[in-house]
Amino acid sequence: MIHIPKDIHSKLTFLIGDAEYISNTPVVVYDELRVEFLSDLSKKLLGQQNIRDYPDVATFAFWCRKSNLLRIMNDQDVDHLRLGLGLAFHISPSNVPVNFAFSLAFGILSGNTCVVRLPSNDHESSNVIVKALSDLLHSSKYIDVDKFIHLIKFERDDHVNQFWMSVADARIVWGGDATVSLMRKYDCKPRSREVVFPDRFSLCAINAEYVLQVTQNELDVICKNLFNDIYIMDQNACSSPQLFAWVGDDKSIIDKAKKKLWTDFSCHVQEVHDLELIHYMDKYVDACMNAIHNDNVVSIKHENNLLFNIELSHFHDKQQDQRGYFGTIQEVSINTLDELSEIIDDRCQTLTYLGFSKDYLHRFVVDNQLRGIDRIVPMGKSLDMGTIWDGYDIIGHLSRIVHIY
Amino acid sequence: MIDIKNIPTFKLSQLEKEAFLLERLNNLTEFHLENCQEYSSLMNKFGRVSAKAESIEEVPFLPVRLFKHVDLLSIPHNKVIKTMTSSGTSGQAVSCIYLDKETSALQVKVLSRIVSDFIGSKRLPMLVIDSKSIVSNRKKFSARTAGVLGFSMFGRDVEFALDDDMSLNFDRVREFVGKYKDENILIFGFTFIVWKHFVEELERLDTKVNISNGILIHGGGWKQIESQSVSNEEYKKRLLNVANIKKVHNYYGMVEQTGSIFMECEYGFLHASSFSDIIIRDHANYDSKGIGKRGLIQLLSVIPKSYPGHSLLSEDIGKIHGIDDCKCGRKGKYFKVYGRVKNAEMRGCSDTYT
Repeated sequence: MIHIPKDIHSKLTFLIGDAEYISNTPVVVYDELRVEFLSDLSKKLLGQQNIRDYPDVATFAFWCRKSNLLRIMNDQDVDHLRLGLGLAFHISPSNVPVNFAFSLAFGILSGNTCVVRLPSNDHESSNVIVKALSDLLHSSKYIDVDKFIHLIKFERDDHVNQFWMSVADARIVWGGDATVSLMRKYDCKPRSREVVFPDRFSLCAINAEYVLQVTQNELDVICKNLFNDIYIMDQNACSSPQLFAWVGDDKSIIDKAKKKLWTDFSCHVQEVHDLELIHYMDKYVDACMNAIHNDNVVSIKHENNLLFNIELSHFHDKQQDQRGYFGTIQEVSINTLDELSEIIDDRCQTLTYLGFSKDYLHRFVVDNQLRGIDRIVPMGKSLDMGTIWDGYDIIGHLSRIVHIY
Repeated sequence: MIDIKNIPTFKLSQLEKEAFLLERLNNLTEFHLENCQEYSSLMNKFGRVSAKAESIEEVPFLPVRLFKHVDLLSIPHNKVIKTMTSSGTSGQAVSCIYLDKETSALQVKVLSRIVSDFIGSKRLPMLVIDSKSIVSNRKKFSARTAGVLGFSMFGRDVEFALDDDMSLNFDRVREFVGKYKDENILIFGFTFIVWKHFVEELERLDTKVNISNGILIHGGGWKQIESQSVSNEEYKKRLLNVANIKKVHNYYGMVEQTGSIFMECEYGFLHASSFSDIIIRDHANYDSKGIGKRGLIQLLSVIPKSYPGHSLLSEDIGKIHGIDDCKCGRKGKYFKVYGRVKNAEMRGCSDTYT
């Protein structure tokens, strides 16, 4: 059991769990009770009448349904006995509300007790999940679960952070570069491990020739997928594509392909989406700033104000810092995918693709000896959270192998 | 400089006015394309290469917020005689507007034409609901300084109602009012300052003052008192109650288009003079909207020549209530403003430890 000193305790608010029962006793990865608990949580969330109002919650609930958890377990390496590290302390981000739930799920599936700091701001999506968790914990079946799930809130405080870091066997830090570096200030246990999520940059590669060949039905599906990548998180998620690279050695083919995709996509977005007023203005100002400050910008097009296409003559020196939000994309044309390697560094996270084979992408990574890109996913999957994320096998990283010879 | 001598301020029908405006605005677009590198680069990249719009709706516009991020000038720096800044709340970026002699002079002319339509062309004894310190630093012009100085040309024997610590100097006010009890008095102040330091202060002191001969002109926006949800009607009612002021004119305008303000008429509508206009636009596609529909307010003005501010898309929401047929007799568009686009919460993975 972890003892929390009085002065620390008084600064904590427990939404779930209890300060008296924080254990650092690990269990085996994918413990049966825990898998059962998460799949019951999934059922409970998906069964809520208003679940459609919370697409992000639905995504989480869909991820932790039993069949998916079993699939993840089957993909795991089973040769070794694996146990959790003990106590995992999570700093969850304020702007992607459901990530606290994913973080928690990863932590308990890997066999740890989890203390999750929720952001100070209240968010409806997180409230929905907290409520469901809390309801579930009231059933006798899960009487012991609140020993390993603790959701807490506290104001930013060095002493509190330092306390948790000093007892945690693992820290999971969401929230970008500044938060990561802040959390590294604190003394940790010598063997503690960290999983950190600093700022990342993501991009998309499109095979122009492929776009020209797709049927109208296929194009409709592509538009739906692309919509998810760009608009579900307002391009604010680190895995949302910022830069679109059109690949093809014939300029006229690229031009035709762009016209084909963007015309349909623009219509699709208009049918299904709207933005808050301020975001329309933000985008417009942002596009103007791009026109003025970036000499590489050739043209800026917008059929309507939902999608701004900023066309570049070539990559910006600091392409990773050129970010757009709410449907502002930068586009560049290249002859081969290999040209993209010029801007790939360790900050690159997700490459979303359309019209390339897996073998080709594999070769692209290996031949170009890339320092970045941790995920390569088909268009539409950029936001799909999983136990493999940011280049980590999170379950593996949060558990230890007991080698029995 | 354009000659406005023969242009009546509020007597041109919309049709006549647009013909006048379009020519001036097209000339300005052309001038800025030739003289402001950032402006021409931006227009080029957005595919707006021709300066010749066929209608005022086609005149290209910049988002007004751009002036907070970029210095935009269409004159060499050595021609700048005055720099004006917007009154951004603390921590926000402020707009910097650069004026040369010509633009600055035109601001004065246009403002004078508009205001005299409401208070007459004779200078009136003037009471400023602000402190004198606001005009003592003349190097940097905040919107408040510019407002007080700009309107001072309509007044004489200017007196300030507030002390430097923004407290109401009641004796000074009473003395001033007593001295000029037989003529019209021009009262000028910023909307929230008049409210907070005059109306509410008098109410708190449970005192009244009789300025029945006063004409209050106030502007600068309702944002600061929005949280108290004070309506224009309430504002006027309470002013009448504490100070017996019957003539109250709000004005709408922005530092980026100083001079060509929109004044509220006796019937409560804001009016575009012959030298400026508004267009209501749909936020989702920037299509222009007709009478009776709310949308973003685009402001046109014939004044800005030293900087490319003749056509600006604001973040204010407005609605045109009619054209050429306001009961007050003024021609052109008349409208109301319904506040500003609200800030919204951001989502995403950028630094988010709160």
